[in-house]
Parts: sequence; structure tokens; C-alpha cells
Amino acid sequence: MSYAVEMREVSAYYFGEKKPAIIDVTLTIPINSLTLIVGPNGAGKTTLLETILGLLEPRRGNIRVLGHDIPREAAKIRKLCSYLPQDFMKPPGEPFSVKDVVAMGIASNREFGKLGNEDWKLVEEALTMLGIAELADRPIGRLSGGQQQKVMLARALVRKPKLLLLDEPFSALDEDSRRFISTSLLPKLIDSGCTVIMVSHDASFTPPRCDLTIRMEEGRIVGVVSHDLRSST
Amino acid sequence: MKLSTIAFTMAHAALAGSAMSLIFEIDPILLGGLFAILTAFIMGPFSDYLRIPLDSASMTLFSIYNALTFIFLMMAPGPTLASEKVGQILWGSVLAITPTYLLILFTLTSIYVSILYVFWGRICSILFDPKLAEAEGVNVKRYTYLLTALAGIVIVFTLRITGGFLVFSLLFIPSASSLQISESLKKQILTSSIIGAMASIFGVSLSFSFNLPVGSCIVIGAAAIFLAAALLSALFRRRIVEAIPLEQR
Repeated sequence: MSYAVEMREVSAYYFGEKKPAIIDVTLTIPINSLTLIVGPNGAGKTTLLETILGLLEPRRGNIRVLGHDIPREAAKIRKLCSYLPQDFMKPPGEPFSVKDVVAMGIASNREFGKLGNEDWKLVEEALTMLGIAELADRPIGRLSGGQQQKVMLARALVRKPKLLLLDEPFSALDEDSRRFISTSLLPKLIDSGCTVIMVSHDASFTPPRCDLTIRMEEGRIVGVVSHDLRSST
Repeated sequence: MKLSTIAFTMAHAALAGSAMSLIFEIDPILLGGLFAILTAFIMGPFSDYLRIPLDSASMTLFSIYNALTFIFLMMAPGPTLASEKVGQILWGSVLAITPTYLLILFTLTSIYVSILYVFWGRICSILFDPKLAEAEGVNVKRYTYLLTALAGIVIVFTLRITGGFLVFSLLFIPSASSLQISESLKKQILTSSIIGAMASIFGVSLSFSFNLPVGSCIVIGAAAIFLAAALLSALFRRRIVEAIPLEQR
């Protein structure tokens, strides 16, 4: 298996919509790489991530993720993936602490969702990695946007995913946090065997390590740049 | 998930079933239970198939059950809304509390607590963000249907005490009260159970003492606790704000 994601002529629609949200998407994403998906609002970037995870079933085309058919084997493959959604903000009354939220990331991969002592150590490590260990017992809804985004990133990382899907992961982060995540955290993650797909509407920001840039507009892929080969289509 | 809306609908499904039992002169718990459990099992797929929000589906069903309740009561033999049986269905009865009934409630509580204990991590994940839970491989539909079905069963057995009109209040008011005084989900579950128990003891005592409908008395007890909790919470928060120096507010 040399590709983490393979899509061939995939079109997907939201329920009740006549116009497809993504149209005839064909792409291959190599394993152990970072792919940046850019494009304006409404280009289909988030839909692409949802289709890769099988949350939105394609009406046409074929998808393989980590060697498995999507959506047929979506339930199995999702356990190997992590997803950081774009809309992560929680209201102040949310009854979960930061460590509870991060632990939820592990629960789906454990029998009956029960966590052991080792799992709680992983939670602590993920929080420490992102510099938010002191927030562990705080209710998530009382944190700032940037802190909440880091918590959700910790939840994604604690699962030790093979495929990490990040939807606008820097939208609420300050400059230092952006730099740390893009220059230190993500490259280490890729070196450890993870494939990262990152969506951004901010074309001016490119992480230092970026293997592939895909540009989307109106549901279609309009440009692919491979930074190793420096070729574009 | 709009669990409170779902519970509201299932309470009225049980009420419609109980009202129907008057026509056939059978134990209200049978048809009440059947209606509530069927609702629990069809509401999720109904909402999924039609792609409408679960709370829209549940409120539509709620309206249907209200209409059916009235129709069944009108069709029941004897003077409409006057018999003792109708009174029991609508407002509950102290006579329903027997040792067997208490044993059933205790068994149900044990099952509910066991399920929460075993599946706690996944249930929390779904309550926090169902879409993210699904993206992480949790079978959201399965757990949602399980919780809905359990809520249906609990409602059916609570119906005998509080009656169809007030069962939802007994489910909702203790939860609303616990939100005022507890921050974590575990504490909210624990405090709402304690508040529910306190309101029930108060209501049953009041009902026995003054020969009043037990369901109404329980709800009045629960509402009094809610008001006290809301007042305490407001006072506590105000004191926290006042303790912060003006320039830091």
C-alpha cells in the first residue's frame, strides 16, 4: 500500500441538493505525507474530508483509504483516523472537562469504550505535548477559542492515527502555536508513520513540510502541486 | 441530541397507549409500554430516513400522540374523563406503588446504571459531539437507539406514579435543577437522581397526607427544588463576580 487515500472520479451530494458538493474528484495521497487542501469558502474542502471518512457517501466513483473501500469499510477505517472539525467551539455550560474530551478520542478504539490507566497517561501526554496540561480539569466551554482548538487537536493526536484529517486547524491559534504545530509537531507525526491532510482557506500559509498542495474551486480539483517533484497539473 | 424532547414525546406515546388500554380494558402498562418502546425504536430511523432533525421528528410524533390520547379517551367506555382509571392514567396513583413495582424500578435502575458504566466513554463522546464521535468510529445510531429505548422503558414504569401529563416533568425538572448546581456530567446525573428521589419522597408524603394526586405533588416538589437550586446558583455566581476587583471584570 503506497497511498493513504485513493479517489477516482468521486462525486458526492448533500441530501436534497441537486448540485454535487464535490465533482469528479480524482486524487492520490501518498502515505507518510502532508497534503494541504486550499481553496475559497464553499470550494468543497470540508466535504472532501467528510467523503474520505465515509461521513458523506459518494454517489459516483471509488474511494480507498489505507487500502480499504469507503464507505463499505468506513467503520473499520475510522478507528485508524483522527478528525479535527472546523466547528469545534463549545458553550460555557458544556459538562465535560478538558481531559474528559481528550479521553473521548481513545474511547472509540477500546472495547466498550472503557479506559485504563495507560490511556489516561496518553491523555496527559497529549495535553503536555500541546502545552495545555494545566487546563486538564477545566470545563472545556470556559476556555478561549485557541485553547479549545488545542484540546480538540490533543483529542485527535491521542488516538495515534494513521491518517489525520485537519479542517482549518490554525483558525483560532496564535502565531507561536501555529509555528510549533507546523514546524515541530506535524513533521514528527509524519515521520512516525502518520499521513496528514490539512484543509485551509488561507492560501498564504503553507507549512514548512508540505508534500502536496491541492487547490479546489466549486467542488472540483483545479490544481495539484507536488512539492517533491515541483510539478503542477 | 435533544434527549429531553425525545423523552417528552415518549411520555406522550405512553400516555396514548395507556388511553387506548381503556378501550380494551387491559393493563395500561402493556399498551403504554408498547407505544413508548415502539416510538423509541421508530423515531431514530424515521428521522434518519426522512433526513429531518430528531427533535422535529419527535415533536411531530408528540402532536400525533396528543391527538390520539384525546381520541382514545373519548372512545373509552363510561363517562369521559370521569372514571378512576382515566384519573390514574392522567395524574398517577399512590396505589400503584407496590413492593413488586419497587422491585421493577430497582431492576431498571440497576440495568440503566450498568449500561452507563460500561459504555460511559462512548456515550459521553456522542453527547459531546455526535458527528465527531461517528468520525472516530463510534456507532452513533446504535447508542442513540439504545438510550432512547431505555428512556422509553423508564417512562412506561414511571407513568403509573406520575401519570401521563406529569411524567415528563419528573424526568426534566430534576435534570434542569442539577444543571444549576453541577458542572460535570457525572455530578449532574448523580444530583438529578438525588433531586428526583427527594421530590418523589416529598410528593408521596404530601399525597398521602392530603389525599392529593401523587404525580402533581411530586412535580410541585421537584419544581420547588428547581427554584431553590436556581436561586442558590444565581447567588453563588453573583458572589464570585463581586469577589473579582472591578478593574478585572
